[in-house]
Amino acid sequence: MSDTIDLDFLDESFAEMLSSEWPRERSVAHAQSGNLIAADLWSQMAGLGWTALNVPEEFGGLGLGIEATSRLHAALGAVSAPVPMLGTTMAAALIAHAGSDRQRKAWLPALADGSMRFGFAQPSGAQLTIENSSVSGIAADILDAPSATHFVLNGRREGKRSWIVLAADSPGLSVEVHPLNDTSRTLGSVNFSQVTLAEDAIISAPDCQRVVDLLEHWSCIALASDSLGIGEAVLNLTIEYLNVREQFGKVIGSFQALKHRVADHKTALVGAREFLAHVASLDPGDPAGLIEALSSKAHITRVAAEVARDCIQLHGGVGFTAEFQPHVFLKRAKLNEALYLTRNEALDRVADLLEAA
Amino acid sequence: MTRTFDILSKVGDEGAFRQEIRDWLAVSMPKNWRSEWQGLENETLKPKMIDWLEERRKVGLATPHWPKEWGGPGLPFGYQIIVYEELTRADAPELHMYMVSLFQTPATLFEHGSPAQKEKYLSGITHGTDIWCQGFSEPGAGSDLAALRTSARREGDHYVVNGQKIWSSGAINAQFCLLLARTEQNVKRKHEGISYFIMDMKAPGVEVRPIRSITGEQEFCEIFMDDVKIPAENLIGAEGDGWNIAQSTLSAERGLLIFGGTERLARSFERDRVDGKDSWMRDPQLRREYAAFHAELQVIRLLIRKLLKELEANPDKASSTLPTFIKLTWGPFLQRYTEFLVRAEGLQAHKWKAPIPATAHTSRIKFIDFLKSYAWTIAGGSNEIMRNIIAERYLGLPR
Repeated sequence: MSDTIDLDFLDESFAEMLSSEWPRERSVAHAQSGNLIAADLWSQMAGLGWTALNVPEEFGGLGLGIEATSRLHAALGAVSAPVPMLGTTMAAALIAHAGSDRQRKAWLPALADGSMRFGFAQPSGAQLTIENSSVSGIAADILDAPSATHFVLNGRREGKRSWIVLAADSPGLSVEVHPLNDTSRTLGSVNFSQVTLAEDAIISAPDCQRVVDLLEHWSCIALASDSLGIGEAVLNLTIEYLNVREQFGKVIGSFQALKHRVADHKTALVGAREFLAHVASLDPGDPAGLIEALSSKAHITRVAAEVARDCIQLHGGVGFTAEFQPHVFLKRAKLNEALYLTRNEALDRVADLLEAA
Repeated sequence: MTRTFDILSKVGDEGAFRQEIRDWLAVSMPKNWRSEWQGLENETLKPKMIDWLEERRKVGLATPHWPKEWGGPGLPFGYQIIVYEELTRADAPELHMYMVSLFQTPATLFEHGSPAQKEKYLSGITHGTDIWCQGFSEPGAGSDLAALRTSARREGDHYVVNGQKIWSSGAINAQFCLLLARTEQNVKRKHEGISYFIMDMKAPGVEVRPIRSITGEQEFCEIFMDDVKIPAENLIGAEGDGWNIAQSTLSAERGLLIFGGTERLARSFERDRVDGKDSWMRDPQLRREYAAFHAELQVIRLLIRKLLKELEANPDKASSTLPTFIKLTWGPFLQRYTEFLVRAEGLQAHKWKAPIPATAHTSRIKFIDFLKSYAWTIAGGSNEIMRNIIAERYLGLPR
């Protein structure tokens, strides 16, 4: 299926569903609702197979690759959708790549149908020590932990890197919620108090670093895509506003001081889109692509955050109100900049890889 | 002993074509040209540049991107890219004195020139060493080009031209000028009444004054025209149609030109890191700043490759918005990156060194490369004009 999929057609179907089911009013209302996720939106996505995108076909998925997944995340960013899709994308990539047959059978179908929602630890983040199949400690600041049914956390057993996969309601496990400025995602720390792990709860791989790199690649593409969607959407709605808001007897979009900023933002996004399209076409399993993935994460999340920052200013007073949408995008864009890898961490890695080349 | 090279016969086999260019460059490129050409300009540089042009002509690569009808080699597009890739890879000198001759003149004449004009003037480039310049801007007509006031008055079989042009690169070396002048003063719209001429720079009444630029080089010139007679046969297209024809000149296929520039910069980017490994690359914040430019370099290279693909598929290229985005991406990026290198090098970057011609923006004299970056942010439509075009034409914001 993956060789025949028309990516632009995919874009259209994502955008069509989201524009009708998650219009601006809902996005703005959600920000003040206190809801962890948009549960009805998640069910609809699952029903349409969006949660099955990068799950292999033999486990009930669509078997699509990272390019299609990139398009999905861009579409989600474009409406700031409050759904924990990043965890699904990452868990599917890990389990399909490094899971045993039993683990794949146990988790992939439930990932594909949306019934399992994953909180997924930063691939290069801190690791929990596994001793005699038991874990105590804290996995701090896990994205989407408060709404997750399951977790993938970084573990270390006998000095070797592994991944811990377990249900949120496992005995001895609790989640401390950290409310975020970005209300379209959630964050929590997962506390382990002598949690016993079944053997199937641990994924290990012969070449752990390759798996870490692969996951890093996927996460960079997903976050860069989300940010591209944010940047394009917030600029579009700002241009719309500049075309209708009048001051001094004319629409403010006719003022050169504003036009020039908008033109710069558009130019940055045109370049970001081209870069992302290229990077998303690279094989996440090829180590040579990692530098581009890390680079696109640092670059595109920054571009989008800067565009969103200025779009509030371009709106003027209404941009400062919770009733208009720009703040939703700004908060999400700022979180993407810091998620998984901060800009400095990503750039240090890019510099390392450049020097190693 | 040098062997003879037959690059063009290798078309059909990309690997062999590429190898033949490499072998040819290895023996034919001017030796140590960076150090030997340093500080040269105009009269001292011209013979070196002509030698290099002649060297390229021997293997049919004087005008690598020209079709057969213009007297070029008629290379398929993919092979043109290989030529420029290999010239860049070998760090061959750029034929910057021939920029207008190689790009703007053919773009103008091929579409609008008479058969006699094409015959006479294109062959002067393919078989001769004619240097052309462009006489468009005036002191009172920069971004607002249509406000130009140089006048051309018809008198019998010739026109009499009076006025002043500015920012004409290389006019001091040029034999011919692509000239815009007003043939009709009373017009409703200022874009009307402009005509397009070929002016012989040796004609009586033409005076050229070089302008020293902020790098210390004399590339730009002013051209003063005092009752200059231009034969009527040197009018390109119809009288009054100059503005339209000028669009062809301005949209002259610059994809390959910028492609050469970005590929040169990509190579220079690698060397910058190696050169800085014991100094500024040890500073964590400068190292990060450097790493962030990797993404921007990829962005501009990808945008250019996209443009080249579009041009290959549709040489008419009229509808694409890409050249504007490329211009507004490349200029500011080049400026910020070269400025970064000046900052990274600290005091060392401030010690004066003579400019090296024919290196585009990669002379690797950091302060000069930085100063030269303004060529891309001001010339050929300033950043501000690009922003107006994007906001008004592409994003639909009102004028």
